[in-house]
Amino acid sequence: MMAALQMRFGLGRQSFVGGFILAALVILIGLIVMAAAEKAQIRVANVFFVNLILVLGLQITMGNSNVANLGHITFTGVGAYVAGILVAPLAIKATGIPNAPFGLNTFELHFIPAAMIGVVIGTVLAFLTGLVLTRQTGIAYSIATLALLVIVHTVFTNWVDLTRGPIAFYGIPFKVNTVSLMLIAAACAIVARLFRDSRWGLQLRASGEDVLAAEASGVSVKRLRLVAWTLSGFVLSLGGVMYAYLVGTISPKSFYFDAVFLTLAMLILGGMRSASGAVVGAVIVTLGTELMRWLEGAPVIFGAKMPQIFGLTGFFLGVVIVLFMALRPDGLVGDEELDEMAKRLWRQRKARAAAGEDTGPETSS
Amino acid sequence: MDYVIQQVLNAASIGGEYALLALGLAIVFSVMGLVNFAHGEIITIAGFTMYALFIFASPTSAWWLLPIGIAAAIAAAVTFERVAFRPVRNAPATTGLLTAFGVSIVVKNFFVSVVGATRPRAVPTPDWLGSQIVIGGVHIQTLQLLEAAVTAIALIALLALLRGTNIGLAMRAAAKDFNTVRLMGIRANQVVLAAFVISGLLAGLAAVFIMARRGAVDPFMGFSPVLKAFVAAVLGGFGSLTGAVVGGLALGVAEVLFQIVLPDKIAGYRDAFVFLLVGAVLILRPQGLFGRKYQFGDKEG
Amino acid sequence: MLVVDRLSVAYGSIKAVREVSLRVEKGEIVALLGPNGAGKTSLISAIVGLVPSAGGKVELDGTDISRKRTEDIVRLGATVTPEGRKIFGDLTVGQNLRLGAAVRRDRDGIAADIEQMLTMFPILRERFASRAQTLSGGEQQQLAIARSMMSRPKLLMLDEPSLGLAPRLVEQIFGLITELRAKGLTLLVVEQNAYDALALADRAYIMNSGRLQFSGRSEDLLASDDLMEHYLGTGTGGHAGAPG
Ligand SMILES: Nc1ncnc2c1ncn2[C@@H]1O[C@H](COP(=O)(O)OP(=O)(O)OP(=O)(O)O)[C@@H](O)[C@H]1O
Ligand SMILES: [Mg+2]
Repeated sequence: MMAALQMRFGLGRQSFVGGFILAALVILIGLIVMAAAEKAQIRVANVFFVNLILVLGLQITMGNSNVANLGHITFTGVGAYVAGILVAPLAIKATGIPNAPFGLNTFELHFIPAAMIGVVIGTVLAFLTGLVLTRQTGIAYSIATLALLVIVHTVFTNWVDLTRGPIAFYGIPFKVNTVSLMLIAAACAIVARLFRDSRWGLQLRASGEDVLAAEASGVSVKRLRLVAWTLSGFVLSLGGVMYAYLVGTISPKSFYFDAVFLTLAMLILGGMRSASGAVVGAVIVTLGTELMRWLEGAPVIFGAKMPQIFGLTGFFLGVVIVLFMALRPDGLVGDEELDEMAKRLWRQRKARAAAGEDTGPETSS
Repeated sequence: MDYVIQQVLNAASIGGEYALLALGLAIVFSVMGLVNFAHGEIITIAGFTMYALFIFASPTSAWWLLPIGIAAAIAAAVTFERVAFRPVRNAPATTGLLTAFGVSIVVKNFFVSVVGATRPRAVPTPDWLGSQIVIGGVHIQTLQLLEAAVTAIALIALLALLRGTNIGLAMRAAAKDFNTVRLMGIRANQVVLAAFVISGLLAGLAAVFIMARRGAVDPFMGFSPVLKAFVAAVLGGFGSLTGAVVGGLALGVAEVLFQIVLPDKIAGYRDAFVFLLVGAVLILRPQGLFGRKYQFGDKEG
Repeated sequence: MLVVDRLSVAYGSIKAVREVSLRVEKGEIVALLGPNGAGKTSLISAIVGLVPSAGGKVELDGTDISRKRTEDIVRLGATVTPEGRKIFGDLTVGQNLRLGAAVRRDRDGIAADIEQMLTMFPILRERFASRAQTLSGGEQQQLAIARSMMSRPKLLMLDEPSLGLAPRLVEQIFGLITELRAKGLTLLVVEQNAYDALALADRAYIMNSGRLQFSGRSEDLLASDDLMEHYLGTGTGGHAGAPG
C-alpha cells in the first residue's frame, strides 16, 4: 500500500519515516503522561491531544496554502454537534431537545457510526464551502473563512430545537480516553506530514509564494486549495467529535474565537509550514498556559474543559503572536520538518568531521 | 410614510457606521497592504477611555467624553502602527494579518484582566444623543440623523483630503507604488501615519456612535461592528475606498431589509442571512463590487 | 559628487551586483551600460536606498548615504527616474508634478518650476488635468522626468529613459538630457541604447552579470570597434543589443 501511495502522490521514504517519527513522538508524550501524571495532568493531556488534532487540521490548509484561515473551528463545531446529538441518550434528548428536527430525538446511535456521520458531514460541508471559498484570494479568503465561522455560529446559537441554542448541550457519553486520543492525534500527524510532502502539498506550498506563476505553469491553485481545505475539514471535524466525546458538554462558545485563537497561536508559535511545527506549538502553548494558570493560582477545574485563555494568559499569548510575527514569522520549527532538520544537521556534522580529518581542501558530499 | 423614512434612516445610520469602519480598514490596507484585525480594538479602547474618564474624572458634562473618545481612538491606531505593525511592514500580507490578530487579542485580554470579562460597564453619553426630533411630523432619532450626517461629512472631508493635499495624493499614489512615492522624498512613515490617523479618526467617530447606542463598554464590544465592516469592505472590493463606502451602506440596507422581512422566529439568523447574501455576491464577483481583479492580495509595483 | 565604493546587492541567494565602484563628478553625464539583467537597476536602486545593499559604501557630496532612507537621500539631492516610468496613473499630470515637489516649501518656486516644465514639455501643458495613465508611453516618460526635476535634484539618475520610445522621441529625450546638464544638473544615465547614450555621455561604465567590466571615456569606447564589440556586442553600425 505504501508503494502505491509513493507512486500516486510522489511521496518519498523520508516522508513516511518522518511521519512515523512524529507520530511516535506524540505517542511518547501520551505514554509519559499516562505513566507519570496525576489525574488533573491527564486531563490536561487529553485536551492537549484534541487541540493537537485541531492544530494539525489547521496546518493542512493554512500551512500549505499560505493564507490565513480564521474559520477552521467551524468544522470542529459541526463534527462535535452532529456526533454529540446522534449519540446522546434518548432520556437526555427528551429533556434537552424535545422538539428536535428530523426525529433526532427518537433514536440514539452507537458512538462509532455517530462519529463517522459527524466526520462525513463536517467533511462534506468543508468541500461545499470550499467550492465557494477557494474562489476568493488572499485577504478576501481569510475574511470569508471568518464569515463562515460567524454564520455557523449563528446557526448553533439560534437553532434552539437542534442544539439548545446558546445553552450547553450536555449528556454526551464519554467515549474516548488518553490512549484513543493519542493514537488519533498521532494518525493526524502522519496525515498532515504526508499531505505536506505529497505532490499536492508541494505544489500548493510552491504556489504560496507566487500564485500567478503556479497558475501559468498549469497548476490549479484553486483545486489544490480545495483539496487541502477539504482534508483539513476532515481532520477538524474528527477533532470536534473527539472533543464532544471527551468533554461530554458542548456549547456554541466552545467553537468560536477562543478556540480559533488558541489553535492559531499554537500553529504560529510552532511554525505553520510543517506538521512538526504544529506538534511543537501545541506542546509549548499547552505547557505555557498550564504554567500561567499555575502562576495565577487558578482553582481546580472540574471536568476536562477547554482551557480558559482569557485574561493574563490570553494577553501573553497575544504578545507571543505579535513578537513571533515580527521576529520569527516562520515559527520555532520553520521550513523544515524536525526529521529533515535532524538529518541536515547530522550531515553537516559528518561533513565537518570529515573535513577535519583530512587536512586537504573541503570535501563536498 | 413615517415608517419608510424611519427605516431609510435606520439603514443610513447603520450603513454609515459600517462605512466609517470599512473606510478605515480600506485606507490602511490600500496604503500598506495590512488587514487591520485590531480595528475593533480601537473602538474598545475609545470606549474604555471614555469609561475611565467618567469614573476617575467624573466630568460635569458627558460632552467631554466625545472628543476624548475620538482622540483615544486616534492614539490607539497610531500606537498599534508604531509598536506592532511597523516591524512587519514589508512582510507578506498574512504576517501582517496575524500580527493584527495578535494585537487584537492582547488588547481584549488586557481589558479582561483589568476589568473582568463578564459585565458591561455603563458609560453615559450626552442626553441629546438619545433624544428625538420631529421634522415635518416625522419622529427621528437625533443619533441616527447625526450618524448619517457625520458619515457624509467625514466622507466629503476625506475626499477633499485625498484630492487636494500632498499627503492625500501621496496616500493615493502609495496605494499603487510606495517606492516611487518615496522617490519623491515623501517619508513613508508619514504616509503610513496619516493612514492610521485617518482610520483611527473614523473609528473614533464610529466608537462615539456605538457608545451612544450601547451606553456601556466591554472588552469585546469592537468585534461585531468591525466584523461587519470587514464583510462590507470585502463586498465593496477590499482596498477600494469607494467600495468600502458602498459596501458599508449596502450592508446597512441589507440588515434593515432582513430585519423587516424575516419572521420573528428566524430573526436571530439575520447576520447569517446577510453574510450569505454577501457570499452570493462574491460568487458572482470574487473581487467585490469595486475591486480590481488583483491577485492574492498583492499590491502592484 | 557621487562615489560608489564596492557596492553589492543580493536578493536572497541571487547576487545582482558584486562590488561595483564608480564615481560621478559634478556636471558630468555618465552612462551606465550593460545587457538585460546586468544589475544596473539594482545598482541605482541601492544607491538611493530602495533595495538594501549587501556591503559597500555610497557617498553623496562627501556624506555617507549608504544607510540612509530613500526619502532622506532624495532630500539630499539625488533622485531616480525609475525604469518603466512609474508615473502615478490615478493622479492628474498636475498632481504628479505637485507630488514631485512634495519636499519643497517654496510655493512660488514650485509654481515657477511647474511653469518651466510645462514650457519644456508642451504636451504636459495640454494634458495638465488628465489622468496620467491616459498619456502615451513617450508622454509618460516626459512626465516622469519632469516630476523628478520638480524636487530640484543635484544628481538625477535616469533608468532607461528611452525604453519603448520611438526613435524621434528618443532623440528628444536625449536632447533634453543635454539641456538639463547645461542647467547644471549631474546625470547618471542607464541605457541599453549604447550608441546614443555614449554620444552624449562624458564617461561610461559597463556592467555585466553584476560586475563592472569597463570604465572609461565615451569617446574611447566609441572610437574602438573592438571595445564596442567586446563589451556591448555592437560592431560597426550595430545599434544597441546585448551579448547573450
Ligand atoms: N526584486 C528582485 N528579486 C529577485 N531578483 C531580482 C530582483 N530584482 C532584480 N533581480 C535580479 O537581479 C539581476 C539584476 O537585475 P536588474 O534589474 O538590476 O538588471 P538590469 O541591468 O537593470 O536589467 P535590465 O536592463 O533588463 O533592466 C537579474 O538577474 C534579476 O533577475
Ligand atoms: Mg533595469
